[in-house]
Amino acid sequence: MRYVLGRVAQAALVLLIAFTAAFVLLQAMPGDAIMIKFQNPELGLSPEQIARIRESYGADVPLVAQYGHTLLGFLGGDFGYSVVSGTPVSRLIADALPNTLVLALSGFVLAVVVAVALAVTATLSRFAWLGTALRALPSLFVSVPVFWLGIMLVQLFSFQLGLVSVINPGPIEGLILPVLTLAVPISAPLAQILLRSFDEIGAQPFVAVVRARGAGAGWVLGRNVLRNALLPTLTMAGLLFGELIGGAVVTETVFGRAGIGRITEQAVSQQDTPVLQAVVLLSALVFVVINLVVDLLYPVLDPRLRSTVRGRKAVSA
Amino acid sequence: MSAPTEQSIVAGGTEASPSGGARFAPRARTRAERRRRVRPTVLLSWIVIAVAVAWAIAPGVFAPADPVAGNAADALQAPGAAHWFGTDATGRDMYSRVVHGAIHSLSGALIAVSVGLVVGTVLGVVAGAVDGVVSEAIMRLVDVLLAIPQLLLMLSIIIILGFGTAQAAVAVGITSIAAFARLARSEVVRVRRSDYVEAAYASGGRRVAVLVRHVLPNSLTAVVALAALQFGTAILLISTLGFLGYGAPPPTPEWGLMIAEGRNYVATSWWLTTLPGLVVVAVVISANRISSALNDRDRR
Amino acid sequence: MSRITRPLGATAAVIAASLVLMGCSSAEPSGEGAAAGEPVVGGTLQYLEHQAHTSLYPPAGGFYPNGGILNNITDRLVYQNPETLEFEPWLAESWESNDDATEYTFHLRDDVTFSDGTPLDAQVVADNFDLYGLGDQDRALTVSEAINNYDSSEVVDDSTVVFRFSAPSPGFLQATSTINSGIVAESTLELDLEGYGPGNSDAVVGTGPFTVGDEEIGASLTLDAREDYAWAPESWDNQGRPYVDAVQITVTPEDSVRVGALLAGQADVIRYVEAQDEPQLAVDGFSIYAPQTNGVNNSLSLRFRNPLLEDIRVRQALLAGIDRQEVVDTIYTDNYPLATSVLSSTALGYLDESDALGFDPERAEELLDEAGWTVGSDGIREKDGERLTLVVNEAAPQPRSFEALTLISQQLAKVGVDLQILKADAGSYAEAILDADQVQLYHSMVGRADLDVIKSQYYSSNRNTLLNWDSSDDSIGDAKLEELLEAVSTEADPDKRVEASQAVQRYLIEQAYVIPLFEEPQVYGASDAVHGLGFESVARPSFAQTWVQR
Repeated sequence: MRYVLGRVAQAALVLLIAFTAAFVLLQAMPGDAIMIKFQNPELGLSPEQIARIRESYGADVPLVAQYGHTLLGFLGGDFGYSVVSGTPVSRLIADALPNTLVLALSGFVLAVVVAVALAVTATLSRFAWLGTALRALPSLFVSVPVFWLGIMLVQLFSFQLGLVSVINPGPIEGLILPVLTLAVPISAPLAQILLRSFDEIGAQPFVAVVRARGAGAGWVLGRNVLRNALLPTLTMAGLLFGELIGGAVVTETVFGRAGIGRITEQAVSQQDTPVLQAVVLLSALVFVVINLVVDLLYPVLDPRLRSTVRGRKAVSA
Repeated sequence: MSAPTEQSIVAGGTEASPSGGARFAPRARTRAERRRRVRPTVLLSWIVIAVAVAWAIAPGVFAPADPVAGNAADALQAPGAAHWFGTDATGRDMYSRVVHGAIHSLSGALIAVSVGLVVGTVLGVVAGAVDGVVSEAIMRLVDVLLAIPQLLLMLSIIIILGFGTAQAAVAVGITSIAAFARLARSEVVRVRRSDYVEAAYASGGRRVAVLVRHVLPNSLTAVVALAALQFGTAILLISTLGFLGYGAPPPTPEWGLMIAEGRNYVATSWWLTTLPGLVVVAVVISANRISSALNDRDRR
Repeated sequence: MSRITRPLGATAAVIAASLVLMGCSSAEPSGEGAAAGEPVVGGTLQYLEHQAHTSLYPPAGGFYPNGGILNNITDRLVYQNPETLEFEPWLAESWESNDDATEYTFHLRDDVTFSDGTPLDAQVVADNFDLYGLGDQDRALTVSEAINNYDSSEVVDDSTVVFRFSAPSPGFLQATSTINSGIVAESTLELDLEGYGPGNSDAVVGTGPFTVGDEEIGASLTLDAREDYAWAPESWDNQGRPYVDAVQITVTPEDSVRVGALLAGQADVIRYVEAQDEPQLAVDGFSIYAPQTNGVNNSLSLRFRNPLLEDIRVRQALLAGIDRQEVVDTIYTDNYPLATSVLSSTALGYLDESDALGFDPERAEELLDEAGWTVGSDGIREKDGERLTLVVNEAAPQPRSFEALTLISQQLAKVGVDLQILKADAGSYAEAILDADQVQLYHSMVGRADLDVIKSQYYSSNRNTLLNWDSSDDSIGDAKLEELLEAVSTEADPDKRVEASQAVQRYLIEQAYVIPLFEEPQVYGASDAVHGLGFESVARPSFAQTWVQR
């Protein structure tokens, strides 16, 4: 129990530091959103008028006070308003999050399916050439720029073959290509980790014993190897999924989907600080929670660890 | 960025796998088998990298045509004898642009890897060599690096540093610090706990001396493997930054920028984005291949 | 009092013919003969936008994605015919002004309702202009750029409203016709800037042919046809409800996807076809629309108060050293005509200055020699140890700004001028363009079909692109320019106003304050199934008369 509490406290600390680091980072950028928006020559505002607007946004107080104010607001669930559009940040995030979640979850599930299928086939295949070919695939998957992959998929499946529509597609139809684009690069590291685990565990003496007793290769994989490979895969999954939440920007841009990634990119270019703070907090929260869950699940999944849990220090947050 | 790459394998897989069992499992395959399976592709990978480096060092030898100035009359020609990779909308020779772009892309990737390697490894080694508060503090900082979205981090850094190839490379490098730090730390911890290092301590070796003589050399192979992997990743990330408009300013013949610029012609002039794309894929795959070969050798 | 609907002079007639340029010869709508007959009612038009909209506060309508929506959900008091640039009744049946243009009276239609059911009356119109003319600092709502010298409004009766100005405001009538003066309901006027933001768009209520339906922030927005719309301008073919049931606006930032979707039949109309993509649409079944923006040309403003550009000979050398024709030929297409004045040849008051805009690199070198700038060891000129290095901003909203500037920089290098291009993040950029020490050449344009447009671009308290007014010490560098510009916006007599605008154009070129590059269009692509696609006077799309023949 003490271990769990300690881990939670660590997670909270990471959240706070991430929030603070983001604040410092954003303040270090030249200019700010108010300047970008209102100093635009089109508006013809005088410096005095801009100063007054700055005041009304509370941007004229010392940074420390702004930091305290923002932090208190966030703790109380008040994320403020986007400086660029005036929309409440909570509304922006709430609108975009489901899209990104659906995309990320589907992409992740597909990636896992592809990775497992690829690793199992490569390991069990009777044909050496097939195994070799499949083992080379993950390297190829991570070597293709994602935006390029997305554009190629759109060109081929939507514009040339006309199989799916990218403009106003149905809810499922609209997911096919983006999910594929997202899943390809993620499936690669998963597949590689699975392949490695299969190789290593498959080579252990006990497997040879089990097989000698007449167990089929599939049975061995299913019973013993898959379970052992689960742990590193799970860790990996935690890391990847965290990246997915904030990282679908390229896919979202190519396919014109609303989502956290698009919001982030636009907010960075306009230095829309309230939005960015919220995005950082959200992504840090996802990262911390997933890692916490993975850490806490380890002993449950792997009995060998139960006794050593208290001695562990090497685990990541 | 939406290309979570293999860096995470190493970062996540080893560091956070408390069993640690996977890495030390005995292997059934004999050395001879392994050599036969691995060698040709690794050799090919080294050749690809060597060619790219040669392009970077002496582009004029391989492609005498001017990569920046074009002849408008030759615009958008398909690949052929005169122009191996075709020409772009302003009549520039694409092959020449790819060859001359090698220096920009490779040096960008090199800068990125150096930043991540140096900063990350130092942090990781320190965190691994000492216990207690310092180690914890470093690793929590590394967590913070991972918790902030990679894209947001990179774009913010570029905005602060200014636009340019080197700046983009530094930004990519900073986002890879976490992976290097985690790996370096776990390697140091692993080696520290191995029998011969314990023995070295037991026989009265001083902490720093043991670290430098025994721990570091044995930890480095994995880090070098990650660096090779990260080299490919950096090329991809820099090209993605080009896609988002934060990369090298045109008309620099940087590979990522060429792929990004050519994408508008996908339907009509496929070669503009496809051929530079294939070059990038070849180099990145080669870097990955070399990386995993290094890892394998380490494990034998 | 005199009626204000007066002939606008010879310029307007010229414009009619040249307004909508069809891009390519092969893009002639082939099926037009068969299909152009009866408009088809119903269906959804798929429109692809390049960027997401940021606000539906009408004075923010200058940003194209905002204006594209506002133009379809709001009506204006007066309609400016985009072909003749003449004014026609719309929400106002008639209007008059006093002789010195300080008082305008509008007589409104009495059958107009907002989409929330409230009627249009003099009070709501007065409230609209009180907001647009004066702004509201507390709600961060800014004054409309189109309205000058606004003082107050007076409601005479339910259908009559009077606007008064503290100084002559001859551009006001045109201002009431722009998107920035879209009339919205009382409930909308109460919103603060947040209320006009994305996610709340359906709260922006107008009298226009469309209303805002479903919205997904940053991704899509639906315009639904108003069944009871019955107050279209007289010159519209369609006097009733819009032909289409809805317009689905989808934000598709990726150029290749926009063009590809149009070609694949997944979209009907796309905005922002870049010059290099135009050839792809030069195939049967597709058309390019390139409506002009009728204002100040895409041009470089030379910040003459900077020490490097103080000498008129240096400025003249830059003007002579740039091969503008080569820029247009290399970077753009036929839809981007070479500029022949500060104003577009389709703009009101245009004066042909092409004789003074010739390319003459030898003359440029002579001028620089005379000015004491001698060629240094690396080919770049120097004077007293200082290099002739100038900085120009990359204008992200302008088409292919970076490519054009790159070419210009190569051209100037040949006469010994080092031109650097500022490519920066939005924060550094916002600061740099207001500082003549950081940006000496400012790349920009502004579209508005009124003589006031030239004042908008150069006057001290407007865009001030020449930085004639220095905000740090509140000083004016060239008082004569200020006077000339003031005359344009205050001269009540129309002919004298045109003369005033021409005096400015002449002066700007004489002093080599401005290097005009090309007449900027907005380029749209559409499938030939689309008919009746209209554009208002600065090229925002209008869907009320559009129908799709599927």
